[in-house]
Amino acid sequence: MAINKSDFTTLYNEYSVLVYNVALNYLQSVEDAEEITQDVFIQLHTSLHKFQEKSALKTWIYRITINKCLDFIKHKNSQKRFFIFGKKSQNEVEILNISNFEHPGILLENKEKAALLFGIINELGENQKTAFLLSKVDGLSNPEIATIMELSISSVDSLVFRAKVILKERLSNKFEEYRKKK
Amino acid sequence: MEANNWTNDILNSSEGITKVIPDTLLFSKIQNRISIQNSVSSQWIWIAAASFTILVSLNIKMLLSNTTKTTAPTETIISSVSNSNQLY
Repeated sequence: MAINKSDFTTLYNEYSVLVYNVALNYLQSVEDAEEITQDVFIQLHTSLHKFQEKSALKTWIYRITINKCLDFIKHKNSQKRFFIFGKKSQNEVEILNISNFEHPGILLENKEKAALLFGIINELGENQKTAFLLSKVDGLSNPEIATIMELSISSVDSLVFRAKVILKERLSNKFEEYRKKK
Repeated sequence: MEANNWTNDILNSSEGITKVIPDTLLFSKIQNRISIQNSVSSQWIWIAAASFTILVSLNIKMLLSNTTKTTAPTETIISSVSNSNQLY
């Protein structure tokens, strides 16, 4: 049983920005973020009646969005592996250029730096990437992230800390390249 | 020191990020996909039902034709071979 049209419109108005921005931060592509937003709302339309209110609706929507993004990345990576053996498609350019993404919500003076940051965020593991993005880009508190990721708060603390350490290491390696360019 | 400052600048570059508003057409795209999904699903139900009916009717036809069938030509050859006991 799907929800009625006015309820769905209200749901979209309330959560579309959240879903779109999480997907945008995760996938770093406007087109992909739009596709994921569509997929999330279609799933909400068909399965909202299954929502058991064990968690807040917002938390549930966050989970659906993150899972959709992870599935999307896995699918893209499998396509990328396929390109090694098969014919190259137009999507390949898009996949390879993922680190050149300029986030439309980033301040103009930070665009170049943020592009570098988003590029190395992609090199993190799934959980570290999720925890870091939700914490540093979406601005959620660690208890909120723990609820979304179904982990303990200490695990989230550790994930965010480890993510920062890894990012610092990778950035210090990139610093030499930056200095040579300068 | 310089490396440290640069690293921190990069890590803090997402500060002041603003929420991006999705394209205004996105909602109508979602509604279109929902309506297509609904129409496609009912269409597939009808196709599945029609395929099943055809399959069942073909099976019934085959069963009926088997019961009324007379001796097949292969059976005639086998019986003539076994009567004469000659294999060449």
